[in-house]
Amino acid sequence: MKVSKVIVTLLNGLPETLSLLIASFFFASLIGLGMAWLYLRKNPILSALAKFYLGIVRGTPPLLMLLLSYFGLPKLFTLVGININDWAKIFFGIVGLSIGWGAYLEEAFRSAYLSVDKGQYEAALSVGMDAKHAFFQILMPQTFLIALPNIENLLIGLVKATSLVYVMGMVDMYSEATDLSNQNQGIYQLEIFIILALLYWLIVLLIEWVFRMFHRYYRYVEI
Amino acid sequence: MLLEIKSLKKKFANNTVLKGINLSIKAGEVVVIIGPSGSGKTTLLRNINFLEQADSGTMVFKDKQLNLANLSNEEILWVRRHTAMVFQNYNLFKNKTAIENISEGLIFGQNRSKKDALQLAKKALDSVGLLDKQDFYPAQLSGGQQQRIGIVRATVLNPDIVLFDEPTSALDPELVGTVLYDMKQLADQGQTMIVVTHQMSFARNVASRVVFFADGEIIETGTPSEVFDHPKNKRTKQFLSAIAEDY
Repeated sequence: MKVSKVIVTLLNGLPETLSLLIASFFFASLIGLGMAWLYLRKNPILSALAKFYLGIVRGTPPLLMLLLSYFGLPKLFTLVGININDWAKIFFGIVGLSIGWGAYLEEAFRSAYLSVDKGQYEAALSVGMDAKHAFFQILMPQTFLIALPNIENLLIGLVKATSLVYVMGMVDMYSEATDLSNQNQGIYQLEIFIILALLYWLIVLLIEWVFRMFHRYYRYVEI
Repeated sequence: MLLEIKSLKKKFANNTVLKGINLSIKAGEVVVIIGPSGSGKTTLLRNINFLEQADSGTMVFKDKQLNLANLSNEEILWVRRHTAMVFQNYNLFKNKTAIENISEGLIFGQNRSKKDALQLAKKALDSVGLLDKQDFYPAQLSGGQQQRIGIVRATVLNPDIVLFDEPTSALDPELVGTVLYDMKQLADQGQTMIVVTHQMSFARNVASRVVFFADGEIIETGTPSEVFDHPKNKRTKQFLSAIAEDY
């Protein structure tokens, strides 16, 4: 079998893999930000809510999170009279991965926020900024820069986790590879999986390059 | 009086840090607060712009009466927008360039347009000979340059009072001179300043009034000559006799 045929077949799953990756990362970041915000509240109930989410999610394997999303969400929605059984599988994949990665991103954002020098906030107040401007102009950008290496790691982890959606029957790159291997009765299986590994590696290289550009742009910002 | 503080008290847990401070400052005065470390000098300064909030006491600032134990957010913001602070560790915004550090307060504290703010910031940087550093981030600047930009960041706001919290304590000895020079220039221009420092020669040469502070109380206050040459209080004498520096 020609290498080009393998590549073309595997790339058929690329749009699904990338859509899943981008959407999951986006929603996981929103969940992470929201949970970090709740966690840092002085209100013990809100803070406990975030801790509960964190505890549950971090203790659940990502594969299980996807299965719970795929089988659990339709049941949950049925309770309120909404039928989502025929919704696209990618929806359940995005929900499962977003909830799963949201917890890790929450930890990345929260720990970064807590490590911003308190003096930076005080300096912002001392020049007459209100709390909102001090947060958006000074604290948030610095939090982001501190969290950057962790965010990069989590995003790379998410790239690999997208392959787990094969359990829901989604046609991503991994699923294309197993199908192709099965169609050939396992002949060239190793070659197919090596090419698949290289494709995932290329995605990771691209992510590393984007983050390297970030680091280069902010190379003089030492926080 | 520009600022009048009465009976200001502040406790941290069971530790009373300020035991009822009374201090008045006229416009144009340079009040230098000296005293041993841990005596509450910095806490007093931070209580003036409410980075710490007093347990009790009153303050009259620009004829506005403030109850220190019960301040509204508007009052806090109003005071902060009429004062400015220079920090011991500079506290320049690490994610902003020198020029942005100076313009941020003008934009977000004084609602000036970005263009106006940058123009003012440029002029202010030029006045201290640091215009060539405008696009540098704090990490690219020496401690002395950072602190001088810290001073510009404070004074560009045209505040009624600038609070200096040990502005030279974190600097290498050879960089102290340039920062003190900038501060003297400001004093000569009539800027009202409250300076917490261990630089006794600065206190002697620039202060209009020296306040000796110990154990959360003002022990003695007077002109530099009164405090340094003819201290009345035993505690002041003890402190001054232990200082190795010529002043």
